[in-house]
Amino acid sequence: MGLFTELKDSISRVTDRLFAEEEPKRIGIYGPPNAGKTTLANRIARDWTGDAVGAESHIPHETRRARRKENVEIERNGKSVTIDIVDTPGVTTKVDYEEFTDEMDEDDAIRRSREATEGVAEAMHWLREDVDGVIYVLDSAEDPITQVNTMLIGIIESRDLPVLIFANKIDLDEASVKRIEDAFPQHKTVPLSAKEGENMDEVYANIAEYFG
Amino acid sequence: MPHECTNCGRTFPDGSKEMLSGCPNCGGNKFQFAPSGQTTESTESAASTSAEPAGGTGTADTTGTVKRAADTVRGWVSSESKQSAEPTQSAEPTQSAEPTRSAEESLENRTPATDASHDESDGSWPEPETSSAPEQRTDTDEFTEWPETARRPEDRSTAVGDESSDVDREHATFESASPTTSTSDKSVDSSPSSGEHSTLEDSENTAQADARSEVVSTADLPSETPHSTSDAGAEPTEADGPGDEAGTQPPDHGRVVSEPSGDQPSIEELRAELNEQFESIKIVSPGQYELNLMELYNREEYIISLQEDGRYVIDVPDSWHADDDE
Repeated sequence: MGLFTELKDSISRVTDRLFAEEEPKRIGIYGPPNAGKTTLANRIARDWTGDAVGAESHIPHETRRARRKENVEIERNGKSVTIDIVDTPGVTTKVDYEEFTDEMDEDDAIRRSREATEGVAEAMHWLREDVDGVIYVLDSAEDPITQVNTMLIGIIESRDLPVLIFANKIDLDEASVKRIEDAFPQHKTVPLSAKEGENMDEVYANIAEYFG
Repeated sequence: MPHECTNCGRTFPDGSKEMLSGCPNCGGNKFQFAPSGQTTESTESAASTSAEPAGGTGTADTTGTVKRAADTVRGWVSSESKQSAEPTQSAEPTQSAEPTRSAEESLENRTPATDASHDESDGSWPEPETSSAPEQRTDTDEFTEWPETARRPEDRSTAVGDESSDVDREHATFESASPTTSTSDKSVDSSPSSGEHSTLEDSENTAQADARSEVVSTADLPSETPHSTSDAGAEPTEADGPGDEAGTQPPDHGRVVSEPSGDQPSIEELRAELNEQFESIKIVSPGQYELNLMELYNREEYIISLQEDGRYVIDVPDSWHADDDE
């Protein structure tokens, strides 16, 4: 009978674990290409797990597949949140290999742009099916009012997903957080520099609050 | 005025944030988008496509915000795409416009080509295609049907004008019945040539044969031929172009989708419109893509990869999780 009890115990342990804890929320990091999504994902992952998510680059569309970092546990003010971070490819309505030909030869540029296009499709698909919350990353040195941003925020709103807008790259001279706040006044905007690690305390506090 | 509340009719400038939280007047959350500058152009030709998808794609059931966003982007994308489409067409309007066509028409063209070779002997017909033309003929099946085809060469020689097109149509209808009647003087000339045909065929090499067979297989010949014949009027100039193109290089994969919008208000165009409605990724050329985000988002299936030839590989969402679950 010992075997049976043991089995029963282990089963109940598994079910306990299944139902006692919620699945970690899956938070998608979205935004246009080159806004600093991967830099942010890496910053968060390094701060809380010790390793990185993916390669960063100044060339747009470095991230061409969604990458996931699971079970990132963030603690803030005694509150602990466990999330899965999904770093998604930058979303755009147009991909042109000529954008990359300065940095690589034409074949590579064409391949990069094809992969980037696939990446956008993947990102949109994740948005539809697989995220419980969104961190929308914007380059605060760029005009936030674009078709892509308006549309993505619209989709996110229509799904009632919790969303935080991150005004990234505040270390740049041309950065304007206000421009982003004004563009999306209905959402909480958090200024930061993922690269320099500026204002990360507020970032984590907001993540814990919004996605906890 | 780009945005208009469908409830109270209040308008908002493009990019306005007021309506993000509903119409300040009436609280309505449905807006229609009518871009001012771009749409005026695009409305004429492309707008029809952009307008239709907005209604039909099922965005209607999502909230007003999304619809507005979708409309905005659609308008933008369609106008953009139109712009991009035009330059390509202007570059080679007739040739690139109808790769499929050329294939279909090749049936008809074959005969003329053979004639052309005859004419060449006369020196009157300086056809670049002469070499390819004889090849096409060699199809044994088709050849038997086409003894009459001799007339076509005449059409060809005269072809430059509209008259030729009329002639073509007559031919098309009468082909099997009375080739000779339709063709006037030249038909007489051609009749002797029928004897020559056989020699021409023999001279065909394998490459030529290949070329011919390819053309036949790609086109939906049975269904399309009647249509192409009706359009024959436009062909004479095209016939030269596509013929050459087909011989030298395959039609550009990426372009096919956008091309039909220009020249003919025919089935081709309707088909293109349909394509646009369902399109989520437009391949402008290799390495250049336009994406319809709303379509991508609304799409049930997931596009895994784009092939070089412009095809998609798609899969159901769940099957690929395994790969990514590292």
